[in-house]
Amino acid sequence: MTFSIRKAMAASALAVGMAWAGSPAYAKTQVNFTVAEYSSKTGPYFEEVAAAFEKENPDIHINIQVVPWDTLLQRLTTDIAGGQAPDISIVGTRWLVDFASQGIAEPVDSYLTPEFKSTFIDTFMAPSVIDGKTMGLPVAASARAMLVNTDLLEKAGAKAPANWDEFYTTAEKLKALPDTFAFGLQGKEIETDAYFYYSLWTHGGDILKGDGTSGLDTPEALQAVTLYKKMIDEGLTQPSPTNYTREDVFNLFKQGKVGMVFTFPMLIPQIKAEAPNLKYKVLPFPEGKARATYGVTDTLMLFSSSQVKKEAWKFIEFAYKDEWRTKFDHGEGFLPVTKNVAAEKYYSSDPDIAGFAAGLPYAKFAPTIANWEEIADTTVRALQQIYLGQAKPDEALKAAAADINKIRSK
Amino acid sequence: MKSRTRIPTTPLLMILPSFLLAMSIIGYPILDLAWTSMQEVSRFGKMMGFIGLANFAEVFRDPLFYSSLVRTLIWTVAVVGGTLIMSLPIAIMLNDDFHGRGLARVIVMLPWAISLTMTAVLWRWSLNGRAGLINATLMDFHIITEPIEWLATAPLAFTVEILVGILVSIPFTTTIFLGGLSSLPQDSYEAAVVDGAKPWELFRYITLPLMKPFINIAIVLNVIYVFNSLPIIWVMTEGGPANGTDILVTYLYKLAFRFGQLGKASAISLIMFFVLFVFTIAYVLMVMRQEHDSTAEEVKNDA
Repeated sequence: MTFSIRKAMAASALAVGMAWAGSPAYAKTQVNFTVAEYSSKTGPYFEEVAAAFEKENPDIHINIQVVPWDTLLQRLTTDIAGGQAPDISIVGTRWLVDFASQGIAEPVDSYLTPEFKSTFIDTFMAPSVIDGKTMGLPVAASARAMLVNTDLLEKAGAKAPANWDEFYTTAEKLKALPDTFAFGLQGKEIETDAYFYYSLWTHGGDILKGDGTSGLDTPEALQAVTLYKKMIDEGLTQPSPTNYTREDVFNLFKQGKVGMVFTFPMLIPQIKAEAPNLKYKVLPFPEGKARATYGVTDTLMLFSSSQVKKEAWKFIEFAYKDEWRTKFDHGEGFLPVTKNVAAEKYYSSDPDIAGFAAGLPYAKFAPTIANWEEIADTTVRALQQIYLGQAKPDEALKAAAADINKIRSK
Repeated sequence: MKSRTRIPTTPLLMILPSFLLAMSIIGYPILDLAWTSMQEVSRFGKMMGFIGLANFAEVFRDPLFYSSLVRTLIWTVAVVGGTLIMSLPIAIMLNDDFHGRGLARVIVMLPWAISLTMTAVLWRWSLNGRAGLINATLMDFHIITEPIEWLATAPLAFTVEILVGILVSIPFTTTIFLGGLSSLPQDSYEAAVVDGAKPWELFRYITLPLMKPFINIAIVLNVIYVFNSLPIIWVMTEGGPANGTDILVTYLYKLAFRFGQLGKASAISLIMFFVLFVFTIAYVLMVMRQEHDSTAEEVKNDA
């Protein structure tokens, strides 16, 4: 009897020893983490975090899958439908409602210690809270702002605009310069709607009205889009905006061919690398009835189907240490989501980053509502019809608002 | 005569295993699709319960479905028609013996070696209004003075996409035709030339009728490929601006993977399958009847 127990103990000790020695497949817990690719730095950065974490926790293996943004939602959809969902993933905060309402996202309130929670800036925590439950943690944040080419402004003898009236007169002066477009207007593909929201919000409108119906049929929305349309018709934008994606417009700016664009902080490192001689300035969006900028956050989400939530959370806490957050935010050009990183001198002394961060107090976020992508697409369709002159602004906006209300069943 | 009417069982038994294999590989996804199309499907592909034909009803209420359907028909007819008209002369030229024929054949076949998505990306860049190669070339030759924004409006963008579609379909079709041309009997040409037939008459009365089976197979296969082809339109315009270049398959892709309406998307893809299925069966029947008629005629003439 004793002999057999001893034998069994020896065998299990041997097994444990072997596992330690290097057969990770048996003893290690694997956490699958889907990472959205912000830039070429994203993958290596998370591999580095995972390696450092595994050194401290040899019993956990972090399996990182880097997926490009364009295919992320499709990839997660097929993974979830096929029962192969990861344990954690970076997702757009605008998708979070869909994940939450389907029971795919795990509320993290029970894991979130008050101490850990206090490291986050509240503004960025808020969009991830749905029906009082925290459905994820902010992982990346950016705010939008206006970029002006100061050389061109000087040549045209115009000053940097602070409100929409000045914006218009500055554009007229810029137009007089040869080979120059005054205002780069995006009209194609991802975030064509965002380019319009900048104008919508500063004109005092909003994506949704107080009662939850679409805000596209308001006078403010009409004013916002009429201004863009007028600028297209008068040649104050580049011709045919519907052929210009976000990147196309930014490329024109990098080439020094366009005077003013609306953009995100990630453009700054690109300008520094590709057009180091370009003189520019980061400014708030022109003011109308209101001041506004578009705050965009991405969320780190825990899947309710995960079998290794405890281990996954351990990794999450590790990855939010200041040293890692600093490296991530600086590398990708994001605004900080944690208080300690935000307190760094870099964010107040660097004029570019400070220019973008300045808008945060009055930043607007995309509403966390279901079927967001479809609503955005409906808005883009209406905008393209207006830009192309296929539909009258008020009719197109009213039709889009009706469609959106139908999608939202209001 | 007797042997024709009796049903031969041995050949049927011999194709039975591969037939069953094909049915399980092709049939299962279709059954699964049909099942999905009658379910309420959640944003992330979970089945929420049977709802009958509600997904189909929603598809048929959708104005974008009809405009995409019409555009799919234009797209298919234009691309397949254009491809056939271009490929036959190319194949005839490449069939003639001339210096450098090998090189010419390689050049015509090359686009086939590049993935459709890559080709589409290249065209998207080349057609860029300000930085694109096409506008730069046209302006250098003083053909245009102002850059043209090729993809800014739907009619022009769709035309350009059809042209690119024709370009990428040519290699495959030319290959079919080349195979057909090299199998044509040379003696009928020689006899016709002796009788004093002109080149056009050779083409019209010998080449074209003898090439018929190859043209038919090229039509069927191209219709199936082109009808279902996503990459060109998706990469160049994503069906925009304002859904003006959406065909069924791009609209379907948007519904399924952007909007998460998997039930409605399954319904559309089932409708697409059905359209293609009916077309293929109808076309094959038509061709078979024609052949049957013409062989019957020949038999009569011989008698």
